[in-house]
Amino acid sequence: MANAVFYDGESARRRAVSLIITASVIDIHEGSEWIASWPAGEVRQREAPDGILRLTRSDASSLARLDVADAELQATIRLNCRHLDDSDRRERTGRILVWSVAAAISILLCVFLLLPILAERLTPLVPISYERRLGTAVDNQVRAIFKGNICEEPRGLAALRSLVARLQKARPGGPAVDVAVLDSGVPNAIALPGGRIYLFRALLDKAESVDEIAGVLAHEMGHVAHRDGLRKMIQAGGTSYLLGLLFGDVTGGGAIVFVSRYLVDSAHSREAETAADDFAGRTMVALGRPAHAVALLLRRIEGDKEEDGNDFRIPAFLSTHPVTDQRLKALEKQVPSQPGEPLLTQEEWRALKEICKTT
Amino acid sequence: MAFSGQGREFLRLLIAGSLFQIPTFGFYRFWLITKVRRHLWANTQIEGEAFEYTGTAKELLIGFLIALAVLAPLYIAYAILGVVLEEQYAFASVPLVVIMYVLAHFGSYRARKYRASRTVFRGIRFWMKGSGWPYALRAVLWDLATLLTLGLALPWAMASLERYRMRNTYFGSIQGDFAGTGWSLFKRGWWIWVAGLAGLAGGALLAIVLATLSLGQHEVLLHLALFLLILIGLALLPLLLAIFTRWHIDGLRFGDVAAASSFRAGTYYGLFFKLIFSSLGFLLTFGIAVGALGFLFAGVFKEAIAAAEGLSWISVGAGVLVAIGYLVALLGLGVLQRYFLGRGLWAAIVASTTIINLQSVDAAVAAGQPAGVLGEGLADALDFNVGI
Repeated sequence: MANAVFYDGESARRRAVSLIITASVIDIHEGSEWIASWPAGEVRQREAPDGILRLTRSDASSLARLDVADAELQATIRLNCRHLDDSDRRERTGRILVWSVAAAISILLCVFLLLPILAERLTPLVPISYERRLGTAVDNQVRAIFKGNICEEPRGLAALRSLVARLQKARPGGPAVDVAVLDSGVPNAIALPGGRIYLFRALLDKAESVDEIAGVLAHEMGHVAHRDGLRKMIQAGGTSYLLGLLFGDVTGGGAIVFVSRYLVDSAHSREAETAADDFAGRTMVALGRPAHAVALLLRRIEGDKEEDGNDFRIPAFLSTHPVTDQRLKALEKQVPSQPGEPLLTQEEWRALKEICKTT
Repeated sequence: MAFSGQGREFLRLLIAGSLFQIPTFGFYRFWLITKVRRHLWANTQIEGEAFEYTGTAKELLIGFLIALAVLAPLYIAYAILGVVLEEQYAFASVPLVVIMYVLAHFGSYRARKYRASRTVFRGIRFWMKGSGWPYALRAVLWDLATLLTLGLALPWAMASLERYRMRNTYFGSIQGDFAGTGWSLFKRGWWIWVAGLAGLAGGALLAIVLATLSLGQHEVLLHLALFLLILIGLALLPLLLAIFTRWHIDGLRFGDVAAASSFRAGTYYGLFFKLIFSSLGFLLTFGIAVGALGFLFAGVFKEAIAAAEGLSWISVGAGVLVAIGYLVALLGLGVLQRYFLGRGLWAAIVASTTIINLQSVDAAVAAGQPAGVLGEGLADALDFNVGI
């Protein structure tokens, strides 16, 4: 009596078979002819529609299948074949969980422990010419973010150039920089890898003297001199790439855009800021100008923030900078022995402040 | 053909699998997709005989890792190249997109190959020939032709590519074929193409009129007309897909075995509506639940929040909660989509298909080997959809 269907895995022929089940073996007969014997320990179950028990042998490459629809027969098979469900295919949810968490932890450890060290060690090894190329790539992204509105009113531009030239002359052997004003409503200033510095228009608006802006520029030149932008870029690039891997973004397409945003939005480490402040202080002293003017500007911006409420972000170069008070104190210690002449004439200063006005 | 799966069982599988994706950072997706396929395959029956999916999640994971190994150097090389080249162009990422696009065609062929060779019917494996590169070349050329002819070539492109795929597909020793032609698809759907072109032209015209003239009161009307055009376009999409599905199933051949489809556009519309309304309902419920919870928490922890300065454990906890809430919403929508457009569509297509001359597969003899898993890995890594 045929009570099951057998497929031998060699041809698609459907064979009605009868089973003889004992504790140790399932014997398969087609009519009176013996076809196969499956040892009970090797019989495994595979997915099948409700009501059908689909059996195969533990050898995974074998495609021989035995479909049993009869409920009584199914019960007998379940009774005799003890290993129906154990196969290497069975999923172990706990193990998946453990290894996923392990992968995540190892990536996070890389991000928080290894990457900063890597960035620190790698930065001095990158040639200046390559840093400049990286800087240009980032610069293009930054310009895309800010719609490329660079202020170029000629007289203002001339004033800016002469200010930068004086700052650079004060520190011979300092870095080559390229300063531009971006038409943006956020009071901020950033230094990109390779020496490009962006001064944001809102910062110019808030400034009340040349010394304040000179202090900011000198500070950013400090970042350029210490190659902080490159360091941060290596770190941010590595972070975004590793995290992208974790979440399945293999191509890392988001990485460069993320890095550019990160450079704009986030701060350097406290040590890097102190070092840049120190650089700025020395520059200003060498020019015979008060070094603490920049701190006054920062304090004014902070004051405005509190009046306005908290709804707009504190610019990055304020947020994790050492607290304004501390910076003010540190800068006040750097006093020029004799006052130097003003960095710009009144007329030039006015032109610089209006660099974003177009006729 | 018949589909015998229980909706509830499938839903449970989807929800549990989606929730597991949160603590495993998405790695569980390989296990989920394998379970989904096993369920769908095992419940698809031809004259009472069910298919079987023999792929494993571990294979998919390995495929993902292989794709990682292929793509990571590619990406890094590109990043370096980009830095060198981007001095001139911001966002000069066009070549990378082209590479990814070709890889997507290649990967989709390989993914189909993988799935075919993991499909077993009557103890015989389906399998495919071909490496994927010739297919990718054809697909790219056909895409170009479609683009240049404003979509006119699309039916012929689909027929040609499906013919290529099916002729390289075997059930054991029986070669597959595809009998549908571009002309037969064009005859069934040409008016949608014309309507689409007319709509596009009309829309462009309207947009130009809107941009050049300010017509006062009429402006609102014009905007409305534009909106209506888009809506009609969207409403025609299920119809187009239904026509395509029917044509596709009707053309499938394995030796003397043929398929015939009585798939109705109404089924497609029903599924789309179910998906849209269930998604809206889910988002609404989710929003209300989150709002209520947030209100509750704000009430309880108000003082604690006020007292906490800067980066405290509470703010970190709140951040994690927000992230999890976002994930839950996203995964929930994914579950609904897989339930209606994955399982629902599958079941509807299976139920509306008739297989003719099935007895002729008796002659099939086992042949072919299981194919590699690179295609699935590429599909996963590059985020392109190769179906279930």
